[in-house]
Amino acid sequence: MINDDKYSQTSSFLIDMTKCTGCRGCQVACKQWNQLQAEETDFFHGEGYQNPPAMSEYTFTRIKFRDYQRHGQDEFAFYKEMCMHCNEPACASACPVAAFFKTEEGPVTYRPERCIGCRYCMIACPFGVPKYEWSKGLPLVRKCTGCYSRVKEGLRPACATTCPTAITYGTREEMLAEAERRLARAPERYLNRIYGKEDAGGTCVLYLSKLPFDELGFKQVTFRPLPEYTWAALRYVPGAFLTVGGGLSALAWITHRRERLQKEQEAQQSEGAASEQGKEDRE
Amino acid sequence: DPRYTRTSSKSDIYAQLRPGTDIAFIGGLINYALQNNSIHKEYVVSYTNAAFLVAEGFSFNDGLFSGYDAERNRYDNDSWAYQLGEDGLPLRDDTLEHPRSVYQLLKQHYTRYTPDKVCEITGTAIQDYLHVARTFCSTGRTGHAATIMYAMGTTQHTTGTQNVRSYAMLQLLLGNVGVAGGGINALRGECNVQGSTDYALLYHILPGYLNMPNFDNLSLADYLEQWTPKTRDPQSANWWSNTPKYMTSLLKAFWGDTATTENDFNYDYLPKRSGNYSFLKLMQRLQEGGFEGMVLMGTNPLVGAPDVRSVAAGLGNLKWLVAADLWETETSVFWKRPGVDSKRIDTEVFLLPAASSVEKQGSISNSGRWAQWRYKAVEPPGEAESDAFIVDQWVKNLKRLYASDGVFPGPIVDLAWNYGDGHEPDIEMVARECNGQFTRDVEIDGRAFKKGQQVPSFTSLQADGSTLSGNWLYCGSYPEQGNLMRRRGTADPTGMGFFHDWAWCWPVNRRVLYNRASVDLEGRPWNPDKPIIHWNRQTGKWEGDIPDGGWPPMNQDGARHPFIMVAEGHGRLFAAGLADGPFPEHYEPMESPMVNLMSGQQSNPAIDKRGKVDRSGLYYIATTCRVSEHWQAGAMTRSLPWLVELVPDMFVEMSEELAEEKQISNGDLVTITSKRGSIEARALVTNRIKPLRVGNKMVDQVALPWHFGFTGLATGDSANVLTDAVGDANTFIPEYKAFMCNIEKGGRKS
Amino acid sequence: MSTLRRVIDEVINYHWFVKLMMLLVGAGVVAGLLRFVYGLGATTNLNDDYPWGLWISFDVVTAVPLAAGAFTLGAIVHCFGIKKLEPLVRPAIVTGFLGYSLVSVGLLLDLGQPHRGWYVLRYWNLHSPMFEVAMCVMAYTTVLVLELLAPVAEKFGWRLSLRVLRWLEMPLVIAAAAISTLHQSTLGTFFLIAVDKLHNLWYNPMLPLLFWVSAICTGMCIIILEATASHKWMGQPNEGVLLETLAKILPWTLGGYLLLRGYSLLFLAEGPFFDRPVLTLLFLIEVGIGFLLPFVMLCRKGVRLNDRQRAIAAGLVILGLVLNRFNVSMIGMMDPDNIYLPSLIESLVTLGIIAAHILFFVLIAKYFPIFEHHPETVDYSIPDPLYRGKGKDMQQTSH
Ligand SMILES: Nc1nc2c(c(=O)[nH]1)N[C@H]1C(S)=C(S)[C@@H](COP(=O)(O)OP(=O)(O)OC[C@H]3O[C@@H](n4cnc5c(=O)[nH]c(N)nc54)[C@H](O)[C@@H]3O)O[C@H]1N2
Ligand SMILES: Nc1nc2c(c(=O)[nH]1)N[C@H]1C(S)=C(S)[C@@H](COP(=O)(O)OP(=O)(O)OC[C@H]3O[C@@H](n4cnc5c(=O)[nH]c(N)nc54)[C@H](O)[C@@H]3O)O[C@H]1N2
Ligand code: SF4
Ligand code: SF4
Ligand code: SF4
Ligand code: SF4
Ligand code: SF4
Ligand SMILES: [Mo]
Repeated sequence: MINDDKYSQTSSFLIDMTKCTGCRGCQVACKQWNQLQAEETDFFHGEGYQNPPAMSEYTFTRIKFRDYQRHGQDEFAFYKEMCMHCNEPACASACPVAAFFKTEEGPVTYRPERCIGCRYCMIACPFGVPKYEWSKGLPLVRKCTGCYSRVKEGLRPACATTCPTAITYGTREEMLAEAERRLARAPERYLNRIYGKEDAGGTCVLYLSKLPFDELGFKQVTFRPLPEYTWAALRYVPGAFLTVGGGLSALAWITHRRERLQKEQEAQQSEGAASEQGKEDRE
Repeated sequence: DPRYTRTSSKSDIYAQLRPGTDIAFIGGLINYALQNNSIHKEYVVSYTNAAFLVAEGFSFNDGLFSGYDAERNRYDNDSWAYQLGEDGLPLRDDTLEHPRSVYQLLKQHYTRYTPDKVCEITGTAIQDYLHVARTFCSTGRTGHAATIMYAMGTTQHTTGTQNVRSYAMLQLLLGNVGVAGGGINALRGECNVQGSTDYALLYHILPGYLNMPNFDNLSLADYLEQWTPKTRDPQSANWWSNTPKYMTSLLKAFWGDTATTENDFNYDYLPKRSGNYSFLKLMQRLQEGGFEGMVLMGTNPLVGAPDVRSVAAGLGNLKWLVAADLWETETSVFWKRPGVDSKRIDTEVFLLPAASSVEKQGSISNSGRWAQWRYKAVEPPGEAESDAFIVDQWVKNLKRLYASDGVFPGPIVDLAWNYGDGHEPDIEMVARECNGQFTRDVEIDGRAFKKGQQVPSFTSLQADGSTLSGNWLYCGSYPEQGNLMRRRGTADPTGMGFFHDWAWCWPVNRRVLYNRASVDLEGRPWNPDKPIIHWNRQTGKWEGDIPDGGWPPMNQDGARHPFIMVAEGHGRLFAAGLADGPFPEHYEPMESPMVNLMSGQQSNPAIDKRGKVDRSGLYYIATTCRVSEHWQAGAMTRSLPWLVELVPDMFVEMSEELAEEKQISNGDLVTITSKRGSIEARALVTNRIKPLRVGNKMVDQVALPWHFGFTGLATGDSANVLTDAVGDANTFIPEYKAFMCNIEKGGRKS
Repeated sequence: MSTLRRVIDEVINYHWFVKLMMLLVGAGVVAGLLRFVYGLGATTNLNDDYPWGLWISFDVVTAVPLAAGAFTLGAIVHCFGIKKLEPLVRPAIVTGFLGYSLVSVGLLLDLGQPHRGWYVLRYWNLHSPMFEVAMCVMAYTTVLVLELLAPVAEKFGWRLSLRVLRWLEMPLVIAAAAISTLHQSTLGTFFLIAVDKLHNLWYNPMLPLLFWVSAICTGMCIIILEATASHKWMGQPNEGVLLETLAKILPWTLGGYLLLRGYSLLFLAEGPFFDRPVLTLLFLIEVGIGFLLPFVMLCRKGVRLNDRQRAIAAGLVILGLVLNRFNVSMIGMMDPDNIYLPSLIESLVTLGIIAAHILFFVLIAKYFPIFEHHPETVDYSIPDPLYRGKGKDMQQTSH
């Protein structure tokens, strides 16, 4: 069933959070490959050692820390936030100039030379991934590129390459199979759920976890591909245009016909009236 | 781990314990294994010294072993010996019933370590403790295994060595040494800390763990007499009996052709040890003005050393200081540290810019003893040079100067230093010399070798000067066919993960030490599913990993006991070798919140200093630790924005209870004070640190990363302002992991 | 020189209110410049959590329906042939034109790359609501310009161009209506993609339709307000009678809207609805006071006949719409513990835009014949060869 999925061959991440140590090698590798400036931080932001405060124009991926008690049990949990590289990206469908687009390799990438900076992609993305260059006078959008520049050269993304334990990278088909394998091999170690398998209509970033996803800060998103929601309305556009246009034209034509007839009658009547008068004059 | 860490978060069972109580914790497991008979009996009887009978003189009471000298805080260990028969072999009782058997003494020693007593000391929740005990000791069954991995939480204590000993003993009792998935594994720290130890970056050894001569080893003969272990047991391989071959080959490597039988191979050139030159002692001597100059290569003691304030003061006594480093470290700018008047310090400091690991080639040895060759990736920036270059220049210039005059020029002038005339010494030539070469044409049991040929393996090393070898352990790493450390073969025919074609592993590319203990007396693997080696009856050979010596299984003639590095050939449950006793015994850290519940001895009696329970204003247990985002003393990471972004400030982890008591909230500045001084840090208030039940009351603990200092991008107070310069009785590693402190809200400056 | 003088005197004699408007516009312009000098981050309260703020919510999402009078009335008059409302068409078109031009201004300020605004024409993405709206807005503004040429031509008495325009009028009106239908509704489509972001009280698949219908209602209400105001304060003729007719149509559209709204909420949306008190309150105000109340009012003849009450009802509808657009595009998507409030500069810009709208309307009304213009004076029949002669006669006979 995965096999005939048209995205089965796109390269994908399997991030197994039961194997993530929160070392943040990925976070640094990302900054290095993308040459992203470091952020000014103070102490920590959020739980554990979390930093910086959020993903931003300078931070494409971040480890979210959870440091809490669960049923009286210590929990120290880590979640790697990044672009999900959706099968059917909301960002791409929303973008008026198609600056965002889904490559057939899998990564959803961005053509800055097109972007008009309307930020609709930011509204559209269910995961809040695209970030804006707020500091700039003529800002653009920034987000995880899926390391497309590496992937298309046959390399694995910087974060996946650096990660000593948690990230596996391969075709979506393989990653799903591997995830299923792990769930089957050690059911007691996992929730029986692959986040990203269907979420947002399926993504190229898949997660396994033992702790409930919402507790780790995962967004609850619809399983239906987001572009479908707008398309459901947009596809009526031509129809609507023709109906309204046509309808009104017809209406207009009728009303004017009525008017004209009216005017003609009025005209005839006035002529009649005139001759009457003539007669009267002769007398 | 006292703290619930990122590592702990991956664990199936987490058991909290109080810093400095590992021996109690493990002692309790040993007791549990013995009481519940979960030991691997056959293994214990045949492969360990459990059955050996101990000399009558040996005794233990109230925390002291026999032979204690209270004046000198030292043990005279004559009584820590086996009972010998007429044949000179230790007496044994394979039933393990004999009251003087190591087994019975061991049992007796650890019966005191009951779960309740242990938990009272360690503060571990009893159910967690029993869960660990059940789980771990269940691996005593044949075919089951467990490993123990440890690092500084174990070693940085005044009982550090005995901590490790206790792991080894537990593993021997459960039959977990030498088997697949067994053993005790030190997670060595710096990427090449294993290599640096193999090459004797310690004061008491020579390369290959040969002993440093003592002042009374006047001749090579004396030396070999004292340091070559002997045994009467024909079944003991007693590998160290090869000491003469290795020592002579080393001297030949040092002084080449000038080292001859006539001049004792220039043995006289070796300095003789007349004292303790451990790091702590050196630092003490530094503070007493005992040095004119000092060379620090790749070390930053002004952050890393215990009681750094005193060290900093000491550095001011130097006339000159040479630092070779990638960065300007706290140490190399000690003279402009906060709060000192630079004008009053006249030490002349030379900072030599060093090339980093990726800017030079050479080998590094990991914790698994794999010597892996690394290539130069980029040119060093600016004037930076490799350490090899720096040392090479020193030697060449010293040789030139000593050639004209100087006191006792021999050791320098005669030094064999043939690494080419390139800008840098030829590292390949160094590696070839470490492996060893034949100094003349010879024939060794039937095989002929030419002068200058590479020695194939240390079994060919000779005591007659016909071979040289810079480090016998690495003999075989660079044979005639070339530099095996370069290999990157990933074949794994056995599926056991040996990867024999990947790099090279000492000794003789053996991947699992003591692997002859992984088979029973007939040579059949204890665990047939995970065989490391097994005896092939047809071929009469071992198969699998390279065996620990090719001798047949124990049930055949010509067999040898598995533990070939000790004279008696048996794993030592009872060991006379350590300064502080043949059995690990729990003592409290030098600074502790409680009296020792195990004995009248508060702290390790084999240490000059006496620990005490001292609560004068110091209420909390403190420990120091690392974070993955920073490296060591921080020079390499506190200047990298990408890492600084992750952990920008010095902080202290504390429990919510403590925070509440002191009205400290997450992120607040707090002041931490110990006997040595006080520092400020941001409070990280977390559930992951919990107050510990100590005896009958709760005591809070805090943990501090030790990465911060006053230079670089991210600066902060160093945790080592607080730590005590007291060391373990054997290795003198400082007790970084357990001391007492106080915490107050608000920064020092506030 | 002397002309300049005259202009200055003219301006000096303006009503204080007009001057105030001019002041606000000035302030807005300055604020707008600051945005470009210091960047969006520094000058607005927008951030990665709130990429869209006041400018999108008001200057675009709200301003567009407020300018819907033009197409609504155009259709009513020319297609449904309710001729007597014709005099209101021009003011409506003027409003529409102003509205749309200012929408574009707002957009340009909000865009990160305003100079690339036209890229929408260059790189098409048929799947993007934003693309659709952009195209429509451009097209529609052009239409409005053409429609506006009529009064201009009249003023300067270019008879020929007048005839051409007249001939174009009908197609333009129809185009206007069709195009508006698309983008008025697509503004609603924008938020269909905010599936898990927009609160259930507002998120439902019928959003586009609701946006369209409410836009129509508002279009008419704006006209009512404008006419009433310009009669009261600008000495324009009283269109009371016409407005009453308009007010007769409103209950139907409003009723329709309320029905759709109820239906979509009951059958298309998913709960929970009333989990957040503040939103519940806003919802009640919006629907209750903003749409239900005026509906009830306008159902009553008394209200429709009474200028004041009629205007009030219209005002309520407008309030309802504004609130609705803000709820959908801003408040309904807010995270309760991270509230967005527009910055001073944002507010100044928006104020400036509103002021500009009023100002220009007043000035245009002052200098161009947009109200003093009555049906009998013009012939609306599409010039038709068959009846040319008659047409001519009639033109002469009239007057
Ligand atoms: N990122 C990074 N990696 C490094 C280093 C670095 O600085 N940064 N340093 C390298 C070096 S040189 C070394 S030596 C290793 C050290 O590696 P580790 O030994 O793992 O480092 P630490 O964090 O100092 O200590 C480990 C743990 O011991 C716990 N602990 C404290 N007291 C006790 C105790 O009494 N008993 C027990 N069981 N645990 C205790 C501490 O809470 C801490 O979590 O790391 C190496 N790797
Ligand atoms: N409180 C507390 N203190 C501790 C510890 C603890 O757990 N707690 N841990 C202890 C341990 S385990 C250790 S190992 C020590 C480490 O203590 P140090 O070794 O003093 O600390 P490092 O930062 O590792 O110093 C290495 C220096 O070498 C430089 N360097 C890197 N590469 C090269 C090179 O190729 N050539 C040269 N010449 N220099 C190079 C780096 O820039 C760095 O300044 O700290 C000890 N101190
Ligand atoms: S996660 Fe967001 S940004 Fe990434 S592809 Fe999906 S919609 Fe686009
Ligand atoms: S901001 Fe740029 S990328 Fe995002 S939707 Fe607008 S044009 Fe497309
Ligand atoms: S894929 Fe590349 S860009 Fe994306 S998070 Fe990983 S490293 Fe960063
Ligand atoms: S590198 Fe891997 S293990 Fe480390 S934080 Fe990132 S995902 Fe987790
Ligand atoms: S081996 Fe790799 S993962 Fe482990 S500590 Fe070293 S760098 Fe980190
Ligand atoms: Mo270390």
